[in-house]
Amino acid sequence: MAALIRGVALGLWAVVLLQSSVDGRLDLLLRAAFHPLVSSAGGVLLMLAVVQVLVGVRQWGQGADPASRQERRLSMATALIAALLIALPANPSFADLASQRPADDTGNDTLSFVLPPAQRSLTDWVRMLRSQPDPQLFEGDPVRISGFVLPMAEGPPQLARLLVRCCLADATPVGLPVRWPAGEPLPRADQWLAIEGRMAIQNKQLEVVPERNQPIPRPARPLEP
Amino acid sequence: MTSAVLTRLNTAWALFQGLLLEALPFLLIGVLIASLARWFSPGGAWLRRLPDHPVAGPLTGAALGFALPACECGNVPVARRLLVGGAPVGTALGFLFAAPVLNPIVIASTWAAFPDQPWLLLARPAGAVLVALGLALLLRLLPEATLLRTDLLEERRLNQPLASVSLLERRTGVIGLPEDAPPNLPSQLPSSWQEVLRHGSREFLNLALLLVAGCAVAALVQATLPRQWLLAVGGAPTLSIVALMALSLVLSVCSSVDAFLALGFAAQVTPGALLAFLLLGPVIDIKLVGLLSLLFRGKGLLLTAAGSGVLVLLIGQWVNLWRL
Repeated sequence: MAALIRGVALGLWAVVLLQSSVDGRLDLLLRAAFHPLVSSAGGVLLMLAVVQVLVGVRQWGQGADPASRQERRLSMATALIAALLIALPANPSFADLASQRPADDTGNDTLSFVLPPAQRSLTDWVRMLRSQPDPQLFEGDPVRISGFVLPMAEGPPQLARLLVRCCLADATPVGLPVRWPAGEPLPRADQWLAIEGRMAIQNKQLEVVPERNQPIPRPARPLEP
Repeated sequence: MTSAVLTRLNTAWALFQGLLLEALPFLLIGVLIASLARWFSPGGAWLRRLPDHPVAGPLTGAALGFALPACECGNVPVARRLLVGGAPVGTALGFLFAAPVLNPIVIASTWAAFPDQPWLLLARPAGAVLVALGLALLLRLLPEATLLRTDLLEERRLNQPLASVSLLERRTGVIGLPEDAPPNLPSQLPSSWQEVLRHGSREFLNLALLLVAGCAVAALVQATLPRQWLLAVGGAPTLSIVALMALSLVLSVCSSVDAFLALGFAAQVTPGALLAFLLLGPVIDIKLVGLLSLLFRGKGLLLTAAGSGVLVLLIGQWVNLWRL
């Protein structure tokens, strides 16, 4: 019986890891480099679970059950946690997370090559502006970016992305100022938007002037390396 | 108000899952290595031949890290296996505290994150060895019975030579038989693959439960404590070290990736604080406390936390004097 419970608990943990690999949960939580590691661990756990279940079935027939009550409780507790993880997927608010973090300040992150303006992502733009801080160079350039709305302590909200080096725990925001259309309500925090427009200079700073501004669902891979 | 709380809880739940999913594979690797060690050398005879010298022991343990490219979560089950197998405490502690840094993956990731700071590439492993050595010397002051958990100690006693353990200290097992072939002792019998798998599975579930508790606390603290508070004192020599030490405790990310994380705020903090962040996390953090409690009793855990804090602070101060 104990081996059977242990097998079920291991099986549920295997499901947590394997399901996360296929349902997009990992894309939301971890950098892509770690995904194969998680899937492989899920596979190994699944094999362990099958062996434990087979052993459990055989022991049940023989009446051999060497495990203590404490061990059974441990297996059941871990199985319960795994079941919770399966049942409750992660749905973080990027704006809430970013409000707790300082903006990314990776000074030596420069672009190794430069894309045409309309093909640059929001992160490409931020890195480009870091390596070439003169705003005059980019005035009038076309912009086609997407990101989530990040309210700022001072000033209007920015369009932002989260940079992740390992997992959501180390995510830091990068954002671009946006000149939101006058007379319209500001977009709500965490709303994902696709913006097409041009770069303009305001108070010696570059900002995006949207010509088209469309709400979009959160992308399948919302985190940027 | 309620919506804000729900949003924050959602964020904490996601942080918890991120931390857990990242750490679980490393934990499994550690358990598998420990299980293999148990299969190939159930009695752990070779472990007892490791040096017991106060300095050579921890250094040998630290060097073993090159054979295990895992982070601190994976190291705990292996260190437990070393202790259970009868390895000298100093050697096992040297491995436990230094190996999360002294392994090829962590050294490579540090180099990849800071290619323009060669001093860090030398200072991190050297600092990790110093911390491990200091902690091993410090923890040797405690008797094994005060330092190690009772269940671990009982299993360890069975694998220690009779010459080094009094009969009264062996609370289980059979007395009066040749040391090499004691019958029916749970820690020495199981070379059958079924028994090894049973033990490995149980150990994984046990450690996973502790890891879950650690990740939950770390996620809650991260979701409620603004990181700006910790980084606000980045320029002050001593305060920046203390702040980055606190940040490493809270963040609880694995040593194999913490260098990339440190890159994000390296420009805002002093060199000593940067090194302190990279040294303390692999030894202790919120996520690890639960796992370490599987090895140490309360005093051992407290001494580890306090000792590592003081040692890392001193190293950070010295680096600031040297680099600033």
